[in-house]
Amino acid sequence: MRIVLWCAGLAASPSCVLQKFLGAMFLLSVLIMGVSTFAVQSEEHSVAAGSCRFHGRHPKTRFKVEGEPLVLTCPQVLHWESTSAHVNVTWRRNDSAVAVPGEEESRVWVRDGALWIVPASQADSGTYICTVRNASYCDKMSVELRVFEKTDASVPLIFYPQIIPLSASGLLVCPDLSEFIGNRTDVEIQWYKDSVPLDQDNQKFLNVRGTRLLVNNVSMEDAGYYTCAMTYAHKGRQYNITRNIKLRVKKRDEETIPVIISPHQTISASLGSRLTIPCKVFLGAGIHTTTLLWWTANNTFIEDAYHGGRVTEGERQAYSENNENYIEVPLIFDPVRREDLHTDFKCVVRNTMSSQTLRTTVKEAATFSWEIMLAPLSLIVLVLGGIWMHRRYKRRTGKAYGLMELKTGHPDSQSYPSKIKEIK
Amino acid sequence: MDIYIHGYLICLLLFLFRSETACHPLGKRRCEMQAFRIWDVNQKIFYLRNNQLVAGYLQGPNTKLEEKIDVVPIEPHTMFLGIHGGKLCLACVKSGDEIKLKLEAVNITDLNQNREQDKRFAFIRFDNGPTTSFESAACPGWFLCTSLEADQPVGLTNMPTEALKVTKFYFQQD
Repeated sequence: MRIVLWCAGLAASPSCVLQKFLGAMFLLSVLIMGVSTFAVQSEEHSVAAGSCRFHGRHPKTRFKVEGEPLVLTCPQVLHWESTSAHVNVTWRRNDSAVAVPGEEESRVWVRDGALWIVPASQADSGTYICTVRNASYCDKMSVELRVFEKTDASVPLIFYPQIIPLSASGLLVCPDLSEFIGNRTDVEIQWYKDSVPLDQDNQKFLNVRGTRLLVNNVSMEDAGYYTCAMTYAHKGRQYNITRNIKLRVKKRDEETIPVIISPHQTISASLGSRLTIPCKVFLGAGIHTTTLLWWTANNTFIEDAYHGGRVTEGERQAYSENNENYIEVPLIFDPVRREDLHTDFKCVVRNTMSSQTLRTTVKEAATFSWEIMLAPLSLIVLVLGGIWMHRRYKRRTGKAYGLMELKTGHPDSQSYPSKIKEIK
Repeated sequence: MDIYIHGYLICLLLFLFRSETACHPLGKRRCEMQAFRIWDVNQKIFYLRNNQLVAGYLQGPNTKLEEKIDVVPIEPHTMFLGIHGGKLCLACVKSGDEIKLKLEAVNITDLNQNREQDKRFAFIRFDNGPTTSFESAACPGWFLCTSLEADQPVGLTNMPTEALKVTKFYFQQD
């Protein structure tokens, strides 16, 4: 078993993989024969047998440009370094059983646990599996790589979005270069905005040769496409490494002083009825998230004052009208009782800028009753009834007259139209 | 009569446009949750890798991995922080001598500021110009941080001025 583990630790050559496989088979048969004896150490055996825990695909797909050097770092390695002294990292393409060699002789090699491809070609696109193991543990993760020819169509795939809020200054960062830079201090970066190189004597941009570009007095005009580039030498050849950044300048979220614009100081309501008093707060361009809004009754929170839930706070609404932000929390009485007329209700708003309180009292409105409602209704019914009766009476007399005329049988040309009308 | 009509209209509006209940100083009720974008001053974005929150640079289609921070304010400067629609919450957890940032599967709207065991989920925000820092309420002196190196776990540091850690974030309403 020691031999198998040792081999697994150096699984860099095809012959070793074969040895490992044979070793694993042997070990498996031993395990099947003596499960009870080996049960306690089963984890170690499974590692030796090559059954490595697979952590799935790394969520990030690497999008790279053809002709440039690229480095794939093994996602688990840094975590391992912090917990374990020695680990062995191997890489292979998922469609190949052969591990990538550790020597820099070819175009593709592994150095310090990372996979290097210098320069990348479109044929390198695919899935790569990184295996990390030590004497007692093993895990794997796959990384997706896609190499493109640099065209306008591939730009949306390769650019990194970055955002700076409108402010005195902000940083743009040339990403994913650390493997190429390492401990080198002589690395020079060239920054471009919309393909125009940025000069060192630029007032707007500072540190134009560094990985982090400082943007002074950030304004909306600073938004756009930036490129940062460095060169990397390998085997006497210079390669360009470029990163594309799309910078967005965002207006900063700001809090404003909240202003309560309703309710009125007194609200009229009828006892026994349901009442809703909205407390509406104007925030202007300010954000609402960090603004708290609540009601109190005699300086007590509503929930504490009305355990029965007769008076409650409604749901909070946040909305915009004409680009101005508002928040609203209603106070709901179900129903209004006499005691509410003597209660001191307050709407309170607070955020990091300020706080405000607005007092409201409930006043009894002129008593609303069904009798009052019924009086005009009965009057309307009476009037309508009267009209109907009147018309009905008229229709009856009209019919009688018409019949009478027909009976008498005197043709009278002048009265004829009027008769027809009446018969109708 | 006016109040009646107004009241019914509001009830109707409330019914039509229901949302989470307001956050309340009492903290007894479910609070309104709001998504914020967070990224550090070095432009690293949060994303999940093997159920761990990490900060790194996201390219093109990878930007859909970005984790936004779900916020439930408790006080104007204190808040619960979560991700994944408030289903995973950021907590400061002490185990032995170690202080760690942990993602816990609790619903952010179920957290209660008055419950001692929920205090580990609370963070105090400090604004300095356009940037914001977050100090754990349960672990005073410990701030949310990222490493200078990309794709490393988001954690907590008690040395916010240390050059290898980034504690300044841009934190903007989504």
